[in-house]
Amino acid sequence: MFVGIKSTFEGLITVFKHLFKRAVTLEYPEKKRALNDSFRGKLEVNGCIGCGVCLKVCPTGAISYQKDGNAKVCNYKIDLKKCIFCGNCYYYCPTGAIKITKDYELASENKEDLILKYEGECRND
Amino acid sequence: MTLTTFKLNLGPQHPSTHGVLRLLLELDGEKILSCEPDVGYLHRGMEKMAEKLSYIQYLPLVDRIDYLAGFFYSELLCRIVEKALNVELSDKVRVIRVILLELNRIASHLLWIGAFLMDLGATSPFFYAFREREMILNYFEKLTGQRMMYNYFVFGGVRKDIEFLEDIQNIISILPQKLNDYEKIITENPIFKRRCINKGVLEKNVALDYSITGVNLRASGVDFDLRKNDYLYKGFDFSSVVLEGKDAWSRYKARILEIKESIKIISQALDYLSKNEKLEQKLINPINLKLDNGEYYQEIEAPRGIASCYVKSVGEDKPYRLKWRTGSYYSVNLLRKLLVGEYLNDAIAIAGSLDIILPEVDK
Repeated sequence: MFVGIKSTFEGLITVFKHLFKRAVTLEYPEKKRALNDSFRGKLEVNGCIGCGVCLKVCPTGAISYQKDGNAKVCNYKIDLKKCIFCGNCYYYCPTGAIKITKDYELASENKEDLILKYEGECRND
Repeated sequence: MTLTTFKLNLGPQHPSTHGVLRLLLELDGEKILSCEPDVGYLHRGMEKMAEKLSYIQYLPLVDRIDYLAGFFYSELLCRIVEKALNVELSDKVRVIRVILLELNRIASHLLWIGAFLMDLGATSPFFYAFREREMILNYFEKLTGQRMMYNYFVFGGVRKDIEFLEDIQNIISILPQKLNDYEKIITENPIFKRRCINKGVLEKNVALDYSITGVNLRASGVDFDLRKNDYLYKGFDFSSVVLEGKDAWSRYKARILEIKESIKIISQALDYLSKNEKLEQKLINPINLKLDNGEYYQEIEAPRGIASCYVKSVGEDKPYRLKWRTGSYYSVNLLRKLLVGEYLNDAIAIAGSLDIILPEVDK
């Protein structure tokens, strides 16, 4: 019984000590955590050569692109509804054309906003 | 079922069922006469998905089989591919993987401590355990880019060299003090003891009959730890925690002691890394990777028991069949046996003490 009373008392002291410490949470969205350099957020594409490695490593099929008359990559689309931010395309892109950004907020009123478009429209002239 | 008994659904959305587990209980007053676990609410088709994806496409997904211990499953898939292609890991890669696996084990056990105590009605330890787990997850985020879906282990090695070792040092120096804090609040607490001691007694032979592995088995007095024979852990000095109590309380105690053992392993690994060896690894090119015709199997000691992976390949770039063995699946099955004859209040304590995690069960 003595052990019981002692341990209850010890437990209460530990809990009360914590009462006077600062809160560890932040009030989102007013305050945000600082993100690390390796954080995997939305993707950005610039200078794709159309080798197709990203299509082969993407687990969800979120990436698609076309090639125009001059074999130039166009209409590069990343569907954020499918993307799981695994970073495979970024890790295996041989030219470093795909980059990860720290932007992680995806909420949107419009479905179309969730499809990221890069490398311009296709032109067949 | 007679007129005096009735059936009760515990779950699938009951707060203490850790995800979406439905237990169909037959009760006589408060006494449980039979228990029928109903699983499958979190089924995502992880095994079928593997048949349509190449190995590298499947690798980021396996972290999601058990999102509390994702490293263990990517380790398994990587080991299968390395085994098939006869790739030996260098010592440094081994040590990096051990550090991350053990940190992941600590994070998983910490969450369990918090959630288990929450089930029993103690709110404060939940927040304390989460606060310490947060340090580990922050470190994972710093290193790998995400908090739970790491995609860091690759076939033949790791994505990049390990960094921020001072963070790990910080974690393992703080944790023992915090564990003492938990023990002060929890271990000898009379209410906690009365709810756990001699509740859910799991006899050795029952545990072996039901294929229980991991901490639950070791808390029933069977010394069986795969890490002892794993080549990943070669050269590390640690002991597997074996307790004779067999009840919910000793399963709790075993997890606390296992965290301490993990800290020991990590500090040995950090000593090794302080030599500053260069990272040497033979990475396997994953594009158009094909495994030879045959069957491959690998197992590993995950936080919730043995996790293993079986792959049958017919020489294509995808597995022909892939099967996961996860510890929780067997623990859920054990509830049929353990809950019979207990009271409804104790059902929560017993189910909680087995550390069941539903994504792992349903896959």
